[in-house]
Amino acid sequence: MAKEIIDGQTMTRALTRITYEIIERNKGIEDLVLVGIKTRGVFVAHRIESRLKQLENISIPVGELDITPYRDDVSADEKEKDVHEFKAEPLDFDVTNKHVILTDDVLYTGRTIRAAMDALMKSGRPKKISLAVLVDRGHRELPIRADFVGKNIPTSQREKIKVSMKEIDGEDKVEIE
Amino acid sequence: MKRYLILEDGTVFPGEGFGSSAITTGQLVVSNNRTGIEQSVTDPDAEGQIIAFTLPGIGSSGINRDFYESINYKCKGIVVGSTSAESVDNSIPFEEWVTSMNIPGIKNVDVRALSKYIFEHGEMKASIMDTHDEHAIDQIKALVLPSDLVKQVSTKQSYPNPNIGLKMVIIDLGLKYSILRQLSYRDCNSIIVNYNTTPEQVASLHPDGVIFSNGPGDPKDLPKVLENIKVLQKQFPILGIGLGSLLVAMANDCQITQLTKPHHESSLPVKEVASGKIDFVNHNHSYTIDQKSIGSSDFIVTDICVSDGSIEGIRHEYLPIISVLFEPEAAPGPTDGYYVFDEFIDLINSIKQQDWSR
Repeated sequence: MAKEIIDGQTMTRALTRITYEIIERNKGIEDLVLVGIKTRGVFVAHRIESRLKQLENISIPVGELDITPYRDDVSADEKEKDVHEFKAEPLDFDVTNKHVILTDDVLYTGRTIRAAMDALMKSGRPKKISLAVLVDRGHRELPIRADFVGKNIPTSQREKIKVSMKEIDGEDKVEIE
Repeated sequence: MKRYLILEDGTVFPGEGFGSSAITTGQLVVSNNRTGIEQSVTDPDAEGQIIAFTLPGIGSSGINRDFYESINYKCKGIVVGSTSAESVDNSIPFEEWVTSMNIPGIKNVDVRALSKYIFEHGEMKASIMDTHDEHAIDQIKALVLPSDLVKQVSTKQSYPNPNIGLKMVIIDLGLKYSILRQLSYRDCNSIIVNYNTTPEQVASLHPDGVIFSNGPGDPKDLPKVLENIKVLQKQFPILGIGLGSLLVAMANDCQITQLTKPHHESSLPVKEVASGKIDFVNHNHSYTIDQKSIGSSDFIVTDICVSDGSIEGIRHEYLPIISVLFEPEAAPGPTDGYYVFDEFIDLINSIKQQDWSR
């Protein structure tokens, strides 16, 4: 049975808080770029971008990152299949000397983030990379941590976390099953 | 008994007396609250105020004596159009209640005309009297309202509101009990201190966060508190509410102006700038932060009032300061604003986590 642990309102609030924290800790938002990890990380990035725009009246670039070819946690078969479908879409801006904020929906083992950093490094040399996630569920397998966390949700490894976002799933919620 | 509400410019509104028959003077405030009359009247913000309720049938939702916002209520007078004799469940009828509170009241006043007049001419002093001759008008003109309202309502002695969670020190500028209720609900271990408590004394209590509460009167009367905020904001996360938020803004070089149409309404819409979300929250303030001065300060505007565009919430760009002019604890009014307390607690926790992971 799936149990809703974050509703739409709480998610909205969490994203707004992350936005404030980004402003606070960067002393302004110059040099910032947001890079979302496909699929839901991209929506997280766009939502943070629109909040920053409302608050600071500055539009910052948002990139999309497809990390499939860099993953190490999918079977070789699956990867091969994905690689064929994968078209390299480079970011349409230069990340060199920028402060990149990577965004994703769930932080779990850290392997996705490592893959994302590999992909990012291929396209330039950022001044700094930070990580913003909607949910941190623990169980890291790599020395990675998030700088901005919407909600810490302690889980067991048997449990599954499912994030739904309006843009693709029709509503905002986080479920555990 | 025929009685008169006299404004400081000599305008007279006739009506019928109820409650205490004492002659009273105070700052006239026009409130559009329909429910939660007992909360508005016992709110320490009402210190030195005569409150005019504009809606008809005041008291029709009953007066619940479990909903008081302070023990030593200081409301100076109540002006209404009409009252209701209704009593709901364990409540008591409105007029009987006002009498038991020993507050002078005046009913059958043309409150619509009164509220229009106040919105055109601004908030002013007023008096409820038995006559309206020249002498009475001269008296109200000559009256000087006290400027030490906060001193009157702030707790003289510190007291705890123990719990097991985060430690909050609350600077009492006229604290409403509902702020404590909301903090208790979130397990906060609170200590309430006098408004003049020095930053050293506050620091010695080792708080996780410091809250500057709501309160009555003009923020310009409290220069000492401004100095304290300047010191404390460098050491602790700060939450400002109502009067507290105005002081937080002033301590960071923002100008305070008077609202042409003061906000005294339990349900006025506020928009969160970042997400566009609209919340209906309780307002009780006559002052606002000047739009121009905010631009040159280190604050970002987080909330605005939808009806007149005035600033309702600010946040410091670099320091952990949240400040709202409206009253997130509601009481009276809808509970949409409760999230402000969650936000402050999230802010404190995220700072703690940051420190820990560094």
